[in-house]
Amino acid sequence: MHELALMAGVFDIVKKYTAELPDKKVTRVTLVVGELTNAVPEALESSFQVYAKGTNVEGAELIVRRIPLTALCVECRWEGKVEEYTFICPKCSGLGLEIKTGRELYVESMEVE
Amino acid sequence: MEISVNEGILDLNERAASENRKLFDRHGLLVINIMGSPGAGKTTVLEKTIDVLIDSVRLAVIEGDIYTSKDARRIEKHGVPVRQINTGGACHLDARMIRKALDEFDLENIDLLIIENVGNLVCPVEFNLGEDIKVAVLSITEGDDKPLKYPLLFKESAAVILNKIDLLDFTDVDMDSLRRDIRKINPVVDIFEVSARSGEGIDDWVRWIIKKVKEKTE
Repeated sequence: MHELALMAGVFDIVKKYTAELPDKKVTRVTLVVGELTNAVPEALESSFQVYAKGTNVEGAELIVRRIPLTALCVECRWEGKVEEYTFICPKCSGLGLEIKTGRELYVESMEVE
Repeated sequence: MEISVNEGILDLNERAASENRKLFDRHGLLVINIMGSPGAGKTTVLEKTIDVLIDSVRLAVIEGDIYTSKDARRIEKHGVPVRQINTGGACHLDARMIRKALDEFDLENIDLLIIENVGNLVCPVEFNLGEDIKVAVLSITEGDDKPLKYPLLFKESAAVILNKIDLLDFTDVDMDSLRRDIRKINPVVDIFEVSARSGEGIDDWVRWIIKKVKEKTE
């Protein structure tokens, strides 16, 4: 359950961006979460509720945008989705797959009103 | 009003980790972060490792635990400097906790710092500590399905220790499939099959560490 710790990071960011907007209410927070992270969307949602309670974020919608795991083969330049976490190139069987997407863990945007 | 943010949730920890890393590099100190489930045998592996390493490498240990100092007391008996970090409920160590604990060590006179993370297959791997190397300890009694269930740890680890190999006959674990799954996730990983209880396989693992320490200190 490190989603609570992750959410502390989310709220640090939210606070920073709303520090100069004291009268504003946050209505939406969008997170981007890659497939190869250990953040579970449901646990993020419940942690979000815990942190939002009693703040200007209470009642806001949390959107979690999931990003698939993709990689690039450094040998044959194949690029595509990594299936079942298999980091072996499906085209040339090369072992040098570089992760392109799937490790994201960031706050993309917020909506305030 | 829409506000564009694009800031990493772990940025604060990442910054602290890179400060730690600079400090480690300045002192020519190799740092290993050991992760695995509760009961995988991390502390026992560490005890056996210390007993072999202590004559050739100057090492220190940080023990991560939620509340207790049982593991630190075990390590202390092996004659190396050890510092306990209690996370007070958190399921992982973070870079700032490590930074604080470092003040207790004479970094100039240490070649290797081993950090035993909180027992957990999931959370610790998201929080970089500034370490050079992550190592996963998986006991075969946990089952051969674990790598694919918790791929991130195995992807990020430079070595995997498969512990409790002495119990193989009492399990239904398919070692070939276990090794295959680990290598699928991480084709360049080094795998060590050990029994921390009997000491089997510990020598190969220790030789690997010594090589890594030399690479860093030379």
